[in-house]
Amino acid sequence: MSDNMRNNVRDNMGHMNNQLTQEMRDLARELLASGEVKGLFGWTKGSRWYLTPPVFITKPEEADRLCYDEFAVNNLTGLLLDFRDSQDKIAVFVKGCDSRGIVRLVQDNQLKRENIVVIGVPCPGMGDKGAVTDHRQAQELPLLAKCLECRYPNPVLADRTIGAVTVTTEPSAAPSGATAEAAKGRGVGSKEADRFAQVEAIEKMSPDERYAFWQAQNKKCIRCYACRNICPACNCRECIFDSDKKNWVNKAATPTDNAFFGITRAMHVAGRCVECGECERVCPMDIPIMAMNRKLIGDLNELFGPYDAGVKADEKPPLGAFKLDDPEEFM
Amino acid sequence: MSAVDEKKVNAAGQPDPNWEPNIVGFACNWCTYAGADLAGLSRMQYPPNVKLIRVPCSGRANPQFVLRAFQKGADGVLVAGCHPGDCHYATGNYFTRRRFLLFQRLLEFSGIDPRRFQARWISGAEAPKFRDVVTQMAEEVKALGPNRKLREEL
Ligand code: SF4
Ligand code: SF4
Repeated sequence: MSDNMRNNVRDNMGHMNNQLTQEMRDLARELLASGEVKGLFGWTKGSRWYLTPPVFITKPEEADRLCYDEFAVNNLTGLLLDFRDSQDKIAVFVKGCDSRGIVRLVQDNQLKRENIVVIGVPCPGMGDKGAVTDHRQAQELPLLAKCLECRYPNPVLADRTIGAVTVTTEPSAAPSGATAEAAKGRGVGSKEADRFAQVEAIEKMSPDERYAFWQAQNKKCIRCYACRNICPACNCRECIFDSDKKNWVNKAATPTDNAFFGITRAMHVAGRCVECGECERVCPMDIPIMAMNRKLIGDLNELFGPYDAGVKADEKPPLGAFKLDDPEEFM
Repeated sequence: MSAVDEKKVNAAGQPDPNWEPNIVGFACNWCTYAGADLAGLSRMQYPPNVKLIRVPCSGRANPQFVLRAFQKGADGVLVAGCHPGDCHYATGNYFTRRRFLLFQRLLEFSGIDPRRFQARWISGAEAPKFRDVVTQMAEEVKALGPNRKLREEL
């Protein structure tokens, strides 16, 4: 790409983001002013050009705080858990990957579908802020790995939409709406076929190498639980890692206790993980958490038939169901 | 090396031929536990390596039980329950089957030999099967040697 073209792409992106941000603010203002919703989760511009963190607003005049750009990466759906005991109606913006989190929470009986106004947004693919080299100056960033591997660029459900995005439960559908071209140009979904590459690489190792690989990862984990906290599938009211009395696991962050945490976390979301990739993105220690999740997803598909969690609310997650003639290696 | 480990190697650092594996078995109250009881009543001989923990249903055994057993010193873990179709609670073991099939693969992915974690269907009448399963597993795990992986290092 020539510098000129790159500048054009950037300008177009900037223009588009402004437009989407405007649409977002207008809709938020309308929903809050009419009283249709009590509050709304969206994104706002952060303290750096590459930060667009979540924001919760309750008044129409706060709508101008909303912002949308290629750093609005946070999946907001897990935040809705704050309202699981409330009857208030809350609105939330969702990109394609995020939207599956809504299905997850509804299916897990954590939220009532009628209490949420889901607003679908088109996604240009999110920039990898890890690649920032100059903190003062905006620059072209590569996409996050999870966006390159994206299979659901469009929301799977929505009550309202902005940016003319198409709502569809079809995987691998081409990105739609105002950002469709940008998403395609930036490579959203282009590495979809590679999403099991790391799993396969680990499977090729010897058992001792695999153990050493995970031990090295577990040594790094500081058990901050960020991976759990962001996850829409990690929605237990009391997490076993928070219950002191039952002594499930030592509080010390030793590699063994961290292994217990990592394996347990993965099993708890097995069949329910919506592949939003947020756990791995938020991990401050760069632990390849998605390799665990994907291992389980791959095996579930192979053992019990293809299944994408968080797409169709009336399809039971594979570990919550069975067939009389399920495969059996035990005997 | 702790006192426990020293028992597993002799002075030359070679594996101790007298070492016996420590196997934890989660046994369903209605089938496998009864089967084990029958094996005892029938005076069947089997290795004493398996320490059974009675659970109401094999579906009650969850992956944390297995991980915790390894952490606390198990060299092998067995989950055993009623044959599919015979669950006291009608369908519990169908969930067990899916869960542990998946979990065994995840353990393997984490570097744990799948022979160290096994699941079996053993009915209340299958005392000989209980004997055979336990004997076979004890032999297999003995051949694998002591398990250090996932062990708590306190
Ligand atoms: S986010 Fe990373 S460091 Fe924190 S608990 Fe999860 S795996 Fe460990
Ligand atoms: S486990 Fe990770 S990828 Fe899966 S739903 Fe939770 S945060 Fe998203």
